Formats: sequence, C-alpha cells, structure tokens
Amino acid sequence: MINDDVLNAIARVKAEPTYVAYSALANLAETAREQGYEPYRIAVLRNFTIEPLIPVIKGEAVRLGLAPDVYVADFDAIAESVLNSSSQLYTHKPHLILLAQWVETVSPLLMTKFLSLSKERVEDEVARIVDTMESWLRAIRSNCDAPVLANNFPLPNIVTLGILDYQSESHQLHTVLMLNNALLKMSKNFSDVYWVDTLSLFARLGYATAVDERNWQAARAPISKHALLPLGLEYAKFIRALRGKTCKCLVLDCDNTLWGGVVGEDGLDGIKLGNTHPGSSFVAFQQECLNLYNRGVILALCSKNNEADVFEVFKKHPDSVLKAHHFAAWQINWDDKATNLKRIAEELNIGIDSLVFVDDSAFECDWVRKQLPQVEVVNLSKETYHYRKELMLSGYFDSLTFSNEDKKRSQMYVSDNQRKQLLKTASSFEDYLKGLGLKAEIGRPDKGDVPRVSQLTQKTNQFNVTTRRYTEGDIERFMASDNSEVFFLKLSDRISELGLIGVAIVQYKNGVADVDSLMMSCRALGRGAEETLMSLIYKRAKQRGCKKLVGTYLKSKNNAQVADFYSKQDFKLVEESPEGTKWERTIESQMAKDYPNWIAVKETNV
Amino acid sequence: MNVTEVKLKKVLADVFKIEATAVNEGTSVDTVERWDSLTHLNLILALESEFGVSFSEEQSVEIMNYPLIKMVLQEHGVKFQ
Repeated sequence: MINDDVLNAIARVKAEPTYVAYSALANLAETAREQGYEPYRIAVLRNFTIEPLIPVIKGEAVRLGLAPDVYVADFDAIAESVLNSSSQLYTHKPHLILLAQWVETVSPLLMTKFLSLSKERVEDEVARIVDTMESWLRAIRSNCDAPVLANNFPLPNIVTLGILDYQSESHQLHTVLMLNNALLKMSKNFSDVYWVDTLSLFARLGYATAVDERNWQAARAPISKHALLPLGLEYAKFIRALRGKTCKCLVLDCDNTLWGGVVGEDGLDGIKLGNTHPGSSFVAFQQECLNLYNRGVILALCSKNNEADVFEVFKKHPDSVLKAHHFAAWQINWDDKATNLKRIAEELNIGIDSLVFVDDSAFECDWVRKQLPQVEVVNLSKETYHYRKELMLSGYFDSLTFSNEDKKRSQMYVSDNQRKQLLKTASSFEDYLKGLGLKAEIGRPDKGDVPRVSQLTQKTNQFNVTTRRYTEGDIERFMASDNSEVFFLKLSDRISELGLIGVAIVQYKNGVADVDSLMMSCRALGRGAEETLMSLIYKRAKQRGCKKLVGTYLKSKNNAQVADFYSKQDFKLVEESPEGTKWERTIESQMAKDYPNWIAVKETNV
Repeated sequence: MNVTEVKLKKVLADVFKIEATAVNEGTSVDTVERWDSLTHLNLILALESEFGVSFSEEQSVEIMNYPLIKMVLQEHGVKFQ
C-alpha cells in the first residue's frame, strides 16, 4: 500500500537528515496523498521569505504519515488574508495556520531607529504590534478554528547603543523580550494559539549561525542553511503533537547507552556510571530518561544481555538514577531487536509507531529502521556527552498539554505488570475483575478536565471509533452547546489510579443521539470500562427523550480492534463504505443498560 | 573535495523534482519549470549545505545554469572527476 518512493525518501531523511533529502521528500507530498496518506493543509501567513523552510516542514509532515498541501500567502499581506473571509487562507480550509513574522519587518523602528525613540514611544510601538496581532487572531478565530502557530522573536545581533544599551532604562534587547512576553500574554485570550520559540532556538544555534544576512538583504530570506533543519523540526514538533503522533514509550539499549562498558564482562563495579567522566555522561542521560518517565513516558528495555546482570545494575548500583521499578516492559535476550520491539509494543498494548528506540550501535539502529520504518530511532553518537541532547532535542515525546494523568501514566504501566501477576492466580477472569476492586467515575467533565479530554482525542489511536482529533477549544464548544455532550470516565482499582482514560462525545438531533467520538486508553481495556461508558451514553440519550442511538466506525491505520465494537454493544449495521461502518440501536423505554457488576460506578454531573 | 557530477545532478534533481539523468550542461533557469526566484534560494541553500561552501553575493545570483554552478563550486575548491 505504501509507495516505495515515499518510504525510501522517508528512510533517507531518517538516516541522513539533509536539506536535499528533505527537498526530495517534500516533492513527494502529492504521491503520498495518492498513496492514502492523511491530507494535511497548512496555510502560511508571513512577512518574510519563508519558502526555503517549506520543504523541511513538508518533508517532516510526510514522515509523520501526512500528505501536506501548503498554501503560502503573499509577502507581508497578513492583514489582507485574515480580514477577508473569502481569502485563500480560509478557502484552503487549513488544518494549521502558520503566522510567521520576522521582527525586522514587524518593526523597523525598534530594530534600526531605536535611538530616536523615547521610553513612551517604545511602549507605544510594542502596544501597536500587540494590538495588530490581536486583531489578526480575532479575525482568524471568527473565520476558522484551525490551530495557529506563531513565533517569537530572537534577540537582534546589533544594538544601536552598543555597550550602553544594556545599561539603559529601556534597552533594545529588553524591548524585544518585553514584546515577546506581551504577545504571549495577549495570545492566551485565544484558543489554540501556539508559539515556536525562535528566541531559544537562535540562542542555541547562535544568531550569526542562524541568520543569513546575505539572503536577508537579497531576498528577505533570513533563515540560514544551518537553521533550516532545526527550525523546520521545531515546527514539525507541533504538527506531531497536534496530530496525535506523540510517541509514548522510550525503549532503551543498556550497554554503552545507559552505562559505559559491557556489564556482562566488566561487572557491576567495572561499568562506567558515576560522578566522574565518562560515567557522568551516562548519569546525565539516565536523569533525562527519568525526567521523561516523570512526564509520563513509558520506559522499556531492549538489550542483548543476561537479564539478571542488567537488573543487578538497577537494583544495586549506587549511581544508577533509573531503578527496576521505572520499567514497564523489557526484552533482554539475544533475539533480534526488531522482533523484541514488536513484543514490547504488544505487551504494552500500544502501537509500534509510538515507540522510540535508542541505541549506540549503528548496526542495531539500521536494522530496526529497515525492519520497522514506523519506529523512531535515535542512534546515539560516539560522544557520550551528546546523549542527553540527542534524546531530548528530537521532540518525539513533546506534547501540548501536561496533565496529572501524564505524571502518573508511566507508573500505571508498571502497575499493569503487577496486575498480570494477579491474573495468573485468579480462578476465572470475572473473579480476577472482581478482585481488582474497580471503581469508575463517569459523567460530564468540568473545565479543569478539558486539557486531558482534548489530549485523549489527540493521542488515542487504537481504541478510538472515529479518531477525530479535537483541540481544547473544540471540546469547550461541545460542552457549551445544547446539542452535544461530552462524557468522561475515570477508572481506579486497588493497585493504582488510572485517571481519566475514557471520553465520548455525543451529538443530539431530532431525537437521535449520534456518537461522534468514543475512545478509551488502551491500558484500561478488557475490564468493562467501555461498556460502562456506553451505558452512560444510552442512559443520557434516554433521559433526553431520544429514540435512537447512532454509532460510526471510521477506519484508521490503528483502530481495527474497534471495528466490531458497536456489534458487541447490540447495534445493527446500517451502512458500509470504504471509510467505515454506520450502526444503529433503538432505545427502548423499559430497558436500561446496566453497568457491569464488577465495577462500582459513581456518576458525576449528570 | 573530489566528487562526481552525479552528486551535483542529484541536488538539482531533488530541489527541482526532475530526473537526475535529465540534468546536463544545458540545464538552466530557462529550461527547468520549477526554477524561479524562490526555488533559486532553495538551490543556493541546498548547494551550500551539500558541498560545505558559502557563496558570495555575486556568486549566488550568477549561478543560473548548470555550467556556472559547476564553475563556482570549482572556485570553492570542489573538484569534479
């Protein structure tokens, strides 16, 4: 099904990310669309020549399984585009709007004539820029709901007053920072406006490296050849997060990845791990892995060792930041790593494309890339002090929300291991479920739940009947409307709290309750939670006097497991198309759907 | 640096979405459909990245055909076998 040209070009950018490789991949966007990649329309508003960056953004989108279609509006014509409701910006029906501004164009006054400005005049100029952008965002929001991705401004490399600048009351560099802060603050009044942090990126790269003064003067194209890839990747990180492609599980090699040396040969005392170089690099790397764990990333191991040797390190080595209880799954054996990665994904019940595999061996990385092109691979460099950076700057785990569930998630996957032990000792599956002491809280979410609800729609790929992705703004609109309701399900058992793991969105029209979305985090499946959520939908529809429930299944790459969900819920098939199926169920007045008897259900806000 | 022209042709092919085998001495801004003032910028950045060179202002506007690109790269020490 996947065209070889596209796949080969993706493999090429993964193995050697160069501008030329991205150009080649970007040029295959149309082919990708023909091959069934998900269409993804981007509209770009800009006041500088952003064109050289477009191949990187497009290439990254294809790599994420999308078929990008990019519309770039005329140079410095942002107001014209946003204010005219029939402009190409809106007729393009973008999934994402880039609002790309360059501070030299935004305010020549602040950049080149700073000396002539009074403190008040500087403040007026900042206010003018903020007001302008606010009016643009208001215009965009009254015409479309697409997320807007803006950028902040880097510090300029030339300041008018030289060394005196920093000593002055309202100095020029401070003014840029102030402007950035004011814009950020203003944007919080709008839903789904995000910021590419150009300020930090250019600080990391160095202004002189990141900006091509020649192309700025010649073509108003400031992004240098050194900044094209890093900046394009920053944009792509947002696309990944917005499209629910955030990776979930970090799979780590052990020898020369988590410590220096080979534990089977060098022994517990011989491996390099500690306060002094080079052991310190590995401690720093382990710390970043732990930070990811605390962000909710599942940790797993895939290494060619004796299992006992490896766990001796986590249990006994005084400088090992990572402990045995941080890992939710492991395949420590001499089988090939692609096979082991598949086992890990199966065991954790997550998609193979949500794994990130990290190894120092070019051979292993190459093998995994070839066998499992869906897996993101980080091939650590020879220099161990780069490890931290190589892991963190990839952005594979970056997300646009951070909820309490995230903080607990990695721990939950570890608890699943304990549940599996329990299952081995129970006499029947129902006994096992009863023994778990399951408690569910179901109902309508309040405002505080919105980020998590939105996040579930963005991240849930497998148990998701329609895979419709919704931003926080979308969820708020569903909640506010009289014709739709949002439901959540929180689950806990005696081993741990799973948190908010189920969401359903129902639209009501003419006595019909239409299930727009229904999803469940995979770690909660098989315990009756999905039936519980369905029962609530049934009950609410009945309360609202509906006569019929309608369910839709839309096929995606990952959701085959819910193809028969509605059939299991006693729905009748009414329509079948290449995109999916449509189901119906009448609501009989005398019959209520009961919650499973092994779950203690508490209803909230219904 | 010693390279074959294959590498140079591949750069033009990838940037302009043409076949590498179709790139020859006659390839220029006038013969390639996608070669315009904007994709020319992409070409400059791609050549500089790929060959590790930096063109002067003058060179960056002058490389409008294949022989001139080769010549300017040679001025930067790139040797074609």
